Order: sequence, then structure tokens, then C-alpha cells
Amino acid sequence: MRTEAAAVTLAGAPRSIGRWRSLFTQESIATIAVSLIVAAAVLLPLATLVVSSFRVLDDLGFSTTWGLDNYRLLFTDHVIPGAFVNTLLISTGSMVLATVLGVSLAWINARTNCPWREKLEPFNLIPFFLSPFVGAIAWHNLAAPKTGLINALARNTLGIEGHLLNVDNIYGVIWVTGIFFTPLVYLFVVGSLRRMDPSLEDSARTTGAGLLRTTLTVTLPLVAPGILSGAIIVFVTSAGEFGVPFKLGAPYGVETLTTQIFTKAVGDDANYYLGASMSMALGAITAFFIFVQQRYIAPRSFTTVTGKGFRPNVVDLGRWKWLALGLNLAFILVAVVLPIFCLVVVSLHPVWEGEIILSDITFRNYVKTLAFWRTDSISAATNGIFNSFILSFAGASIAMVLSLVVSYMIHRTKGFGSRMLDLLCVIPIGFPGIVLAMGVLVTYIKTPIYATLWILLLGYITRFFPYGQRNISSVMLAISEELDQSSRMAGASWITTLRRITIPLLKPGIFAGWLLLFIIFLRELSISIILYTSGTETLSVGVYYLANFENESLTSALSVAQTVVLLACIVIFRRMAGREALTA
Amino acid sequence: MSAQDSSFVEVVQLSKRFGAELAVREVNLAVARGEFVTLLGPSGCGKTTTLRCIAGLERPDAGEIRIDGQVVTAPEREIHFNPEDRNIGMVFQSYAVWPHMTVFDNVAYGLRVRRVNDAEMKARTNKALELVGLGHLADRYATKLSGGQRQRVALARAIAYEPKVILFDEPLSNLDAKLREQMRIELVRLQHEVGITSIYVTHDQSEALVMSDRVVVMDKGVIQQVGDPETIYARPANAFVANFIGVANLLEGRLLSRSGDVSEVEIPAGDGFAPLHLKAAGGEGASRGQKIILSLRPEDISLHLQRPEGGSAVNLMDAEVIDTVYLGNFLDCRVKVGAHEVTLQIDHFERLSPGQKVFLTFWPDHGLCLTE
Amino acid sequence: MENEKATPPYLEVNGLVKWFGADRAVDNISFGVERGKFLTLLGPSGCGKTTTLMSIAGLHGIDGGDIRVGDVTYTSFSKKLFLPPEKRDIGMVFQSYAIWPHMTVAQNVAYPLEIRKIDRAEIDSRVADVLRLVGLGDMADKLATQLSGGQQQRAALARAIVSRPRLLLFDEPLSNLDLKLREQMRVELKRIQNEVGITSVYVTHDQSEALVMSDEIIVMSKGRIEQKGGPHEIYAHPVNRYVSNFIGVANLLEGHVIRVTSPGHGEFEVNHGNERVILPCCLGEGLKEGAAAVLSVRPENVEARRKDPGTPRLEGEVLEAIFLGNCVDCRVRWGAFEWKVLAHPRDRLRPGERVFLHLDPDHSLAVQP
Repeated sequence: MRTEAAAVTLAGAPRSIGRWRSLFTQESIATIAVSLIVAAAVLLPLATLVVSSFRVLDDLGFSTTWGLDNYRLLFTDHVIPGAFVNTLLISTGSMVLATVLGVSLAWINARTNCPWREKLEPFNLIPFFLSPFVGAIAWHNLAAPKTGLINALARNTLGIEGHLLNVDNIYGVIWVTGIFFTPLVYLFVVGSLRRMDPSLEDSARTTGAGLLRTTLTVTLPLVAPGILSGAIIVFVTSAGEFGVPFKLGAPYGVETLTTQIFTKAVGDDANYYLGASMSMALGAITAFFIFVQQRYIAPRSFTTVTGKGFRPNVVDLGRWKWLALGLNLAFILVAVVLPIFCLVVVSLHPVWEGEIILSDITFRNYVKTLAFWRTDSISAATNGIFNSFILSFAGASIAMVLSLVVSYMIHRTKGFGSRMLDLLCVIPIGFPGIVLAMGVLVTYIKTPIYATLWILLLGYITRFFPYGQRNISSVMLAISEELDQSSRMAGASWITTLRRITIPLLKPGIFAGWLLLFIIFLRELSISIILYTSGTETLSVGVYYLANFENESLTSALSVAQTVVLLACIVIFRRMAGREALTA
Repeated sequence: MSAQDSSFVEVVQLSKRFGAELAVREVNLAVARGEFVTLLGPSGCGKTTTLRCIAGLERPDAGEIRIDGQVVTAPEREIHFNPEDRNIGMVFQSYAVWPHMTVFDNVAYGLRVRRVNDAEMKARTNKALELVGLGHLADRYATKLSGGQRQRVALARAIAYEPKVILFDEPLSNLDAKLREQMRIELVRLQHEVGITSIYVTHDQSEALVMSDRVVVMDKGVIQQVGDPETIYARPANAFVANFIGVANLLEGRLLSRSGDVSEVEIPAGDGFAPLHLKAAGGEGASRGQKIILSLRPEDISLHLQRPEGGSAVNLMDAEVIDTVYLGNFLDCRVKVGAHEVTLQIDHFERLSPGQKVFLTFWPDHGLCLTE
Repeated sequence: MENEKATPPYLEVNGLVKWFGADRAVDNISFGVERGKFLTLLGPSGCGKTTTLMSIAGLHGIDGGDIRVGDVTYTSFSKKLFLPPEKRDIGMVFQSYAIWPHMTVAQNVAYPLEIRKIDRAEIDSRVADVLRLVGLGDMADKLATQLSGGQQQRAALARAIVSRPRLLLFDEPLSNLDLKLREQMRVELKRIQNEVGITSVYVTHDQSEALVMSDEIIVMSKGRIEQKGGPHEIYAHPVNRYVSNFIGVANLLEGHVIRVTSPGHGEFEVNHGNERVILPCCLGEGLKEGAAAVLSVRPENVEARRKDPGTPRLEGEVLEAIFLGNCVDCRVRWGAFEWKVLAHPRDRLRPGERVFLHLDPDHSLAVQP
């Protein structure tokens, strides 16, 4: 059945296939193969997850029977219902925070005469590339009640008793998640603000509306789909975020669905089947919102782009422009400068107790976490570095090859098959990494790939290849099909055309996509934490290990190392891809 | 006619600089109430900048703009009315129809901004929609409209609140050829019906000829000629205008003599050819021996297969066919006259082969001598 | 004479059928093109012209008929034969130019030769020759993105002809260019095709392009051929109302042929209110006495005079006189009918004026409705 559906995609005219067997044969083989691979990779874990969630583990933890007990527990357990509520509160809170910040910053950068806005823009985007987990570690060191740097300073200089700030609670989780996901909203909004045809606003002005009225009745409604899309993506990503609640919530009684899934996947009272049912619950929420966004909101984004290279209308803020600048600088301070500064400071102390002691400064923490050749190094950290580089490199490369073929099939062939593939590519986006990882875990736990890097690779690619595919697709949409056709007319076969014309034309998209995936994989936590075993730790798992079993200073050292690599990648990324290529 | 009527919109010594470049240089323009004036010129000639200064979307560096006696821009006196305070309507090239509103809401926008009461707002919006023939699409979203329909919405939106002036910024250039021809006739009809003062910017000379009461030809930020379409076409002020409006053969030569309205000119025909001695209109104020440019329209030149004799052999030139282009109703023909290449247009089908010897004539009052 | 008849055309399309879903995009059409000739498929969008071209190119399969060039069969439905596009030895020029932006002009043009594994020295000399031919001699090392639209189209043409293919196909190549450039390029394109002498099939919806460039024109509508003939033949002797209306502008009056005066000439009767007006005219093919017909008169063949000419008397009122520079486009109301008249600016016709219309019988053609 499935082969037939796939075969239909290749020539455009299904009627012809039976008769014209010699038509596009290289294409048909590639199409069938890739369709099967993608379908298997995406659907198998989800299907197994559904099945597992109906298996109930008996009290001894040995055998299972069919039943709805796992779902019943979602409502009756003494922790899970609370985790459910916390997840919704955190997602809603960070969505509101990220949207307010993201829209404000986007408007300041795209539409006002705020000073230095071109120079500040790259810094606004940095949190997008860093690990929110590391952000949570940094903010814990900044604003934990006792050991937080800010609180210590406040005690010493202002003479305050107790503490000034406390991030070890649900508000802290919302704060860190919100500021780290602000760039998502920013990217969704800034593009449509910048590319909006200025005559849409000019015509409101000439029709008699003032600046404020024009902004409220024309500009804002036009970017509303972008704002809404960004907000939903933040909601969904926050719901699936594991690192931040794990660091700032769970130890202080704020459990979320992700931290609960984690406890069911590893540890002494592991229960994959209950984990599967929680994953189903979380996945149902996120998939629903992504469906709404893809189906109803994204298509409504108004195509207001004009061919002319108009510059968008710029609002003269007058004296208010200093306030705008202040807001932008404040964001960069709390989201980039303070966390990184604090990590560096902590990492240079043998033990962190909330105070900077210059005489204690040492590089011993870096030696212990990075110097893999020494016997006293911590293997979870050094393994993590090796494994993460291997996984990121291999994962990004394989995912981009897959993305290339999939994009080609979606855009260059028509019919049922290409629409199916298009849908398959959206599905992984609808499920948080931790949910998909649970699916991968229950699917492959009894196969030889479990406890190897392969299972991590599979999880990474399945979850994130749509990001690469979107990067290529956006370039491919801009390239006329006639460019391929004229190569065929010049006498070149399909493979030659792909090699000499299509791939070279897609190079910018391929490279941008590769680097984006490399960055995502390098900081990946929520899939890794479910699928790793001793020996297959990743960089973020290493940080997790240090945070859990060692001290803050060692954790900070590895975090700084990861951050430095990510920052280097960002610099390369901006050089090669430009700022428009980011919107995955 | 009062003084105010003849200069309902008045632009005085307008200059606008973009960086180091002077986009508009001391432009003066007066538009009468109800008149349709077109600013015509190649891209970068300053026509759009002038229009955007009138709209208030651009701030000029010097000069003054008055609408209905009210000074709306005078940078020297620090007067600048915002676009919304000028009571104008504007139609843009990209239509700029708001995609998040229905057709009705788009058109009603200006009336709602002006706080017109509900009943009147509805009546006037519907009237404007009927005028442009979109009454049946009032509830449709703008994204569901074709290009031509969007431009009609933009037009209805601009006239619904009866502004003093309506400004057009190349409104038809995004439409395809057939629709464009249809729309320009419709636009003129509408303008006559509503009687609203209109300033129209275009680079398309045929649009300007078809639609305008008066045409203002601009180049490099400076006005080259102002006049009604017939005058601009038949009596271009200089070589730029002659070549920009329609097609013209421009031949350089010297004035030999003038008698009455007729100038006699000598045009060198290149090495090995005798110079041409031709009679043509124009050349007023030129002195003997002065350099002139003879402008000849392709449709004003007659082609003869045999050497014409007697009365019709005026301004006779020997020529050789280069090639022909068959257009159905016309035959475009390129010929060589001495070293010059001359284009002419015949209104019937004729089999001409390259290299064939032919003869050209034109009536003296069909040629025009331009001085520079 | 007999020998000539026996030679089949170089490109032969026979009984071509192509379905798109439930639509018959091309409905059993047949035509041929002589070697070295320039054929244009002309019609409105959706008439099947592009589908026909794509069938020749092999960019999709067909549902009936066969296509042959020289002694090579490209596609045959009955024999279940399909030659993939890259094996057809065709040069093609697309509407979007389709110049590869990651290559220089010379690399673009060399591509078809590299695919054919021709040695480097010959590639270089042939690329240089063909670039000179299309007027891009000094642009060889420019990137395609540095070229203007017109130059890109020249490069596309060079790439299409460099391998001296059997056939040259054009898919509305000029429609992305602006008016002035388009007029210039169509003359140029025709010159180059003449020079290289490759048999060409050109698709356009622009009738003036077809008139200017073609040796032969096929006018298509709804997947069928309406008329095939030379440019002047199509313009001056359209076979029916559709062709007459599509090529150029025409006044189309409905009425009857009432008399055949001599072969090819006759009289046409049209109702004008209560009156019957009789107009001498030429007769198109297959029109007999008493047949219902349409009289087609081009606007440039209608003259508006101020003096009463006697019979036939067509008196009307000028509705509109639109000044176009070299001519004035007029509408004249004659009862319920509106005449399109192309007048000279020096006649100074004004709206509201009464005029008498004079039709030239030699340029008034009665055709099938």
C-alpha cells in the first residue's frame, strides 16, 4: 500500500505512471526509499508510545497487562496533577513574558530610530542559541537566596537581611524560560515588521489616521499572525523544556510534566509505561497548539512583501529613544551578560559560597572537566564533550542529506505522496524532545542500538530534521523549477542535475541548516537525558551530572566551555547565513 | 475664474535632497481645481518625490506647497502638516489594500477616522464602492481580490471621504497590459464624474497622453515641459521630450534659413553622401548656422517604391531598407538614409526586402526643428 | 512538386492528447514544422499551447498521439515509447530565463557541451562564438546575477543553441521583460534564429510577438487548433470570429451574406434598427449566399469622415476620442453598435461630433461566426 502511495508522487501525473515505466526512474527509487525511512522514523516511536501507555506494570515491576491505570494515575497520583498545573502555569507565564519582550524589542529594532539598533540586534538573538539549562544554572548562582551573587552583594553593600531575589521557585522558572525564548517571538515578528510594504501605513496616514491610530489599526493587526505564532511556539517549547524546571523547580517542590517523565524514565522507580502516558498527555497539549498554529495562524500571515526595496517606515521616538535603548540593554544584560559573567566567576572558585574571593581563583575546575587525558578528570564530562561533537557532526550531516531529499520531493513532485511527506515533517515539531525520546526509548530498548550513540542519533534526527528541511525548503521555494528543467533539456540526467544544479543552488540553505542543527545538537538535553546510558553521555548530560553529583563550580566550568563553543558557532552562523535564515 | 481656482494646488520652488543627490530641483507647479495633471518622466526623475512631498510623506528641503490656499509645507518657516492633516487621498502602486479588513472596512476607514455618523458612513462607502463597480464585493476580504479589483478598492478608499486632492503613484504599473488599458479609461471617466483634483505620477507616456488634462514632463529633478497632451506630442520643447513621448527620429544639423513658419535645415548624411536639405516647422528664434535637431515621427514619413514626382516630392530622401517588423495594423520599417538610421511606420502591408531602394518624403509641417 | 509533397515535415505532432485530471488540456491536435522554420503557438492562457510545448520537451507524459523529430520518435502513445527529456537533444528557453545563478555566463553556456563530453578547447571556442552571436561577448565571466533581465535572456538563448540541438523551444521567453526591451528582443531573437537556422517552436499569448517573429502561426483555443498560417494571412484573413478577435482588434458585426458577386466577393447585410444596411465585402472560406456570418473590420480600416458619402451610409456619434500620440482611438456609436475607429490626430475628432463611417470593401471580411 505504502509503496504505491509513494510511487504516485514522482511524475506529477499519476495516470502516466503505469504506462511510462521508463519515466524518471532514478527519482522514483529515491522517493520510495526516503518516504519509507521518514515514515518509519517518525511514526514508529509515536505508535509504540501510544501502545505502551496502555500497558500497566504490576506491583512487582515484572509483568504488564492491558489497562487504563496509567491514565487514571495522571489524575489521582499525588504529584502528577500538580505537575500538570505547574506546566501550564510556567508555559503561560513564559509565553506572556517572551511575547511582551519579543514584540517590544522587535518593534524597537525594526521601526524606531533607537540608537545602535543594528549593533544590538545580534546580541538580542544570542539566548536563542544558548542552553536554557545553563541559563538556569547561571541564574541559580546569581539569585539563589543564600549563594546567589546578587543576594550576597545586596547583603554586603546594602545591608539587607535575607535575600533580595529568589529564582528557586516557579517564578524563577518562568523568568529564565521567558527571557531565553524571547528571541523566538522576536524572530517571528521582526521579519514581518521589516518587510511590510510601507504604503500600507502611508495610505492610512493619507486617509487621515494619525500615527497612533495607524499603528493600532494597521501595523499591529498585520503582524498579529506573527506575534500569535511566536507566542504559541514559546508556549509549546516551554511545556517541553526540561533543564530549567529541573534546576530551579524540582528541587524546591515545583514538579512539571517533563521532570516527572524524567523520573519515570531513569532511576530506581522507573516505569516506562506511566512515563508513556504522561508523554501522551504532554504531547496532546503541544500537538494541539502546533496544529492550530500551522493550520490556522501561519497561513493567515499576510504577504505584504513588495518587490521594491523599500525601507520600512521609521518612527522618530524623540527623547523616548533612550528609554527604548535602556530596555534593549537591560534585556541583553539579564539574558546574556550577567549569566555568562556569573558562570565564569563561579567556575574560577574551588567552591562557590556566594562571594568573590580573588585570592582563591583557580583553573582547577576546567582541568577536571576538560582534560580528558588526566586520570582525575570526570569521565561524564569528558565523554560528553567527545560524544556531543560526534553526534552533532554526524547528526547535522545525516539530517541535512535527509532534508535535502525530502524537500526536493515535497517541492518538485506533486500529488498525494508529497503532501504526506509535508505532513510527516510537521509531526516531530508538534512533540517535545522528551516525549519523542520516550517513544524512541520504548521502541528500541530491546534492540542492539540501545545504550549506543546510535539511539541518540536517531532521536536527534527524528526530532530536529524538520528544522533543516525548512531551511532548505525556503531556499528551494525561491528557486524556479525551470532551473532544473533547463538542465534536463541541456541533456543532463536527474542525478547529474541534482549534483550540478540543484545542490549548488541550495548551498546557502544547506549550510545554514547544518549549522543550526549542529548548534541545537550541541546543547541538546531533553532527548539525551532520556536516552543516554553510562558511556554515552553528552555535553549537556555532563552538565546535568556535575550539577547533580558534583558542585556548582565544576558545573559552571563545563557550562562556560559549552557556551564558548556555541558563541563561536553563532559568529560563523551570522557570517555565513545572515540574520534572515534563522526562522526555523 | 479666481486666482485661487487656477492654483488649487501650488508647488513653489520645491527642492528635495537625498544625501548628496538633488532629487527635485526648484520645481514650480500649479494645478487648477478639478484638473487632472500628470507628472511624467523616467525613473529617478523626481516625479514620485514631488508627489510624496505634496502628500506629506516626504519633507522637502526648500520651497512651499499650498493646497486650497493653505500652506501645508514650508521648511523655511518650519511648517509641516502631517499627511493625515492635509485632507488628501492617495493611491499607491502596490495597491496597499489592507489585507486584514474587508473591502467595506477598507473604504470606510477614512470616514470612520473623520467620525462621520454611522448612517452617512455606510451610505458614502457604498456610493464609492458602486462608483468603482465593487458594490457586490463589499464583504469580501482584500486577499481574495484580483489585482484590478484591489486597485479599485484603493481608489474607492481614496475618494470615499471626498478629499481636496487625490494623488496617484503609478497605480496601474502592477497590472497586466490589457487591464491597464481598460483601467486608465475607467479612471479618467471616474475622475470626470467625481470632478476631483488629481495629480498622477507615471513613467508610461501613453498613460499620460490618454488620461491627462495637462502633462508635466520631468527629467533629472527638473521640469522639461508643461502642456496638454497634443502639444507635448506635436510640439515637444526639446529633444528629451520628443524622444520620451512616442518615438522620434532625431537628426542633427544646422539652420540654413527661415521664411514664415518654415525653417530650412542642412543635415550631414555621413561620409560619401550629399548632405540633406530639408524644410520643417519650428526653429523659432534660432539664428542662421545654429545647431538644431530635426525631430521626425515614424508615422509622419511616407515611403515610396518609385521616385515621386511633382507636388508630393517634398523633402525627398533616398533610402535603403534595413528590415521590417510586421505588426498587423502597422509595418515598422528601418531604413538607412545616408549614414543615419531612420524608423518609419506604414499603415498597410508591403513586401519589402532588406537592401531594397526606397524613397521617403514628409510634409514640412510634420517635421519639427528643436533648438538646444 | 510531387517530391515536395512526399517529404514529411521535420517536426511532426500527430493526434496529441493530454489530460489534466478531468480536463482535456490538448485535444487531438496535429501539425508539422519544416526544417529551419519558426512556428508560434498562440493563444490565451489555458489554451493548451504550453502543454503542447512541454509534451514536445518531454517534461510530462502524454495520453495519446505521437511526436517525432527527423527520424527520432520522441513519444508514441500507441508504441508506449517515451524518450526522457535529456535524450531529446532540445534547446529550451524559459520565461524565467532559468540562468543558473551559481555559475558564470560562460559556465552556463558551456554546460550542455560538458554534458555531451566535448573536449575543453572546442567548448571554449564554441562558447565564445555563441556569446558573440547573442551580443554577450564581453560578459562571459560575469555571474548570472550581475546581468539585467534582457542579458539573462540572451544568455539563456546562447545556452539553448550552443549544442546545435535538433529543436529550439521557447516558453514565453519575453514576457518578463519590460515593453521597450521586449520589442527590441523579439527582433533580435528572430535574427539569431535565422542565423543559426534551428527549427523553433515558440509559445506566447502576445499576438504582436507572434506576428513579428513567426514564419507560421498556430492559433489555439481550448486545446484545439483554430487556424494555421503565415502572419499576414492570419491577420488579414482570419477564418473565424475567434481568430479575428484574438489577433489584433476588430469590429465584429453579425449579419448575413446576401449575395456573392464574384468569387471571394459579395454583399453583407446587417440590421441597424429597422433599417437594413448592405455592405460590400470580401468573403471568407465556406460562406455561401444566405449564410449567417460575422463581418470583421479592423479599426485602422474604418475611416471617420465629416462629409456624407451617400451609400452605404453609416452615420454615428463620436463617444470617445483617446489621444495616443501617433493615432486617436475613437469609439463611434452607431445604433446599438460601438465602432472602434483608429483616426489620425490631425482629423481632430471630438466627442459628441456626428461622423460618417467609410469601410474599405477590400479590408472588410465576412467570416464564419
